[in-house]
Amino acid sequence: MVRLTELEHDALVELFNIGVGQAASAMSEIVNETVTMSVPAISFLTRATAAKLLTSRSSGNGRLCGISQHYSGAFDTEAILMFPEEKSQEIVRLMVGEAMPLAELSAMEQEAMSEIGNILLNSCVGALANLLGHELHGSLPDYHVGYSEEILAQAGSAETAVLMLHIEFVIERQQIAGDVAFIMDMTALHDLKQHVADFLDRSIGGAQP
Amino acid sequence: MKSSVESLPLLQGVIDCIDVGTLVLDANERVVLWNRWMDHHSGVLGAETLERSFFDLFPEQRGKRLEAAIGQALRSNLPSLLSQTLNRWPLPLYANKAAAEKGERMQQQITVTPLNLGNNERYCLIQVSDVTAAVQRENLLREQAVALRSQTLLDDLTGVANRRHFDMAIDRETRRARRMGTPLSLMMLDIDYFKAYNDHYGHQQGDACLEAVASALSTMQQRPADLFARYGGEEFAVILPDTPADAAVMMANAMCRKVRDLRIPHQASRSDERIVTISIGVASSDSSNAGEVYELINAADRALYQAKACGRNRVHSL
Amino acid sequence: MKPSTVLIVDDSRVSRLLTRQHIQVRHADWVVEEAANGDEAIAKAKGLQPDLVLLDVNMPGMNGVDAAAALRAMLPNAHISLLTANVQAATRQRAEEIGVGFMEKPITAERIAQLIAPLEA
Repeated sequence: MVRLTELEHDALVELFNIGVGQAASAMSEIVNETVTMSVPAISFLTRATAAKLLTSRSSGNGRLCGISQHYSGAFDTEAILMFPEEKSQEIVRLMVGEAMPLAELSAMEQEAMSEIGNILLNSCVGALANLLGHELHGSLPDYHVGYSEEILAQAGSAETAVLMLHIEFVIERQQIAGDVAFIMDMTALHDLKQHVADFLDRSIGGAQP
Repeated sequence: MKSSVESLPLLQGVIDCIDVGTLVLDANERVVLWNRWMDHHSGVLGAETLERSFFDLFPEQRGKRLEAAIGQALRSNLPSLLSQTLNRWPLPLYANKAAAEKGERMQQQITVTPLNLGNNERYCLIQVSDVTAAVQRENLLREQAVALRSQTLLDDLTGVANRRHFDMAIDRETRRARRMGTPLSLMMLDIDYFKAYNDHYGHQQGDACLEAVASALSTMQQRPADLFARYGGEEFAVILPDTPADAAVMMANAMCRKVRDLRIPHQASRSDERIVTISIGVASSDSSNAGEVYELINAADRALYQAKACGRNRVHSL
Repeated sequence: MKPSTVLIVDDSRVSRLLTRQHIQVRHADWVVEEAANGDEAIAKAKGLQPDLVLLDVNMPGMNGVDAAAALRAMLPNAHISLLTANVQAATRQRAEEIGVGFMEKPITAERIAQLIAPLEA
């Protein structure tokens, strides 16, 4: 597992906070409500540990809704936004408001969640790519429901690491917690660390003690 | 793309035939491609749109999600999806002339994708799908699923009787036993250390374990009126009409043995033998103490609690 | 010109270093102090009496907006600005109500230049 220095870790957390902040801004445009999102913590885990962590945190039936997009270029990763299944309908309802009849809402909930995933993941990865000075190529979102092990298995079974972001999402005073998993192989992980180190060198190279 | 026919006329033909609105914007957000679907459904002809800025044609899109998506495609090389749920009728598009006259816009799903041609030229491909039919289909399917689910008597996962079935049956059997003066026995059972099993092996395997146990136990009930049901989570219940306490306890012991004999490994079990086991509580009523439904269930629950307290992997009867 | 005093408030160390870098590169003689949260900012500002305070909105504990309001009351003549990646009408409005400025993140040289311009005038 790759180890980041404290400063590199801080830089990543800040980059992702900027990303989700921009996503929150975009979402508040859509719903005309105040939306805030933050990334209080990130961690590097094996896929098995990540699956266990996601399961242990869920209070409902353990099933998650996951929206995934594949990115390649500066580094290769499968990015997946996950919420507990029972929360996803709540999120869509909050985003849409009372305007839509309940039956119609459930019908296209999957599509709405896909868009939310698309906005959030592109924002995170876009912010990362911009700040690190490298472009990425991304795919359109895929929607899955299942247990954490199944959802994280999207990227195949090779030796992989997971960069996990815990996300706090607040809309209309309702607080919802979710997670974003970036599944990477060891090469991608090393690429990422190198990019972050380069970014720190470029921006505050001389300033730090 | 592979083609054995001369490409350009073929491609133009295809673009104009496909059932998806297709437009391409250049790096300055000017329209460089506009297909026949767009002509047909927007009422704006291709000739009027080419080389014009997208936002001159659709000024209401400024400051909206579609503008952000176009920006993300052209400047960050990332694709976007606009669901019709979160973006209601974004573009002025109509299913047909009648709808256009009534001002009824079609339900649209839009994707915006970056297009990189050689020599650093970047474009943005916008595809629009009419999802009205899809939405209606989904609605219908959901309504049907809800109706079906409210009628079913079987548990989705294990295929045994579900809680609904159990509630109806226990009610019926309690009244019958009281009326006929016959004995009625009830078992409540659950899988020992099941939460630990889930935490250790994952939920998928937890489900498989439930299925295996349910399958092994549900075949043991001999008589048509006997009912094996999933009571909830990892808890099951067995209703045994016309069965006195001692017979019920004998069956319960046989059930415990059968699960033990499955020898399903359980590394996180806190017992010595690391296999899956069950605990069973048995309660019975007869003509002398025929009570209410809830009394029998409470008694069986208390018996189950005792079985757990005494070390699990056993039967306890009140 | 008398060197100014700046207080940078952000829970991210990288953010603080970056902002400091952008300021000191233009004004090596300015006094630049840091605080990692709202409470620390208020405590430091008392003694420091900064000319300029830059606050991240999204911080654990007391958020940037509440801290800015408290600082505005404490330092009526200072230039105070909120920084956030989450640009929303509601936040802008709140900033106006408190009487503080508002700037978008990510932090860039141009944006910092804009923020320190009033002190250079």
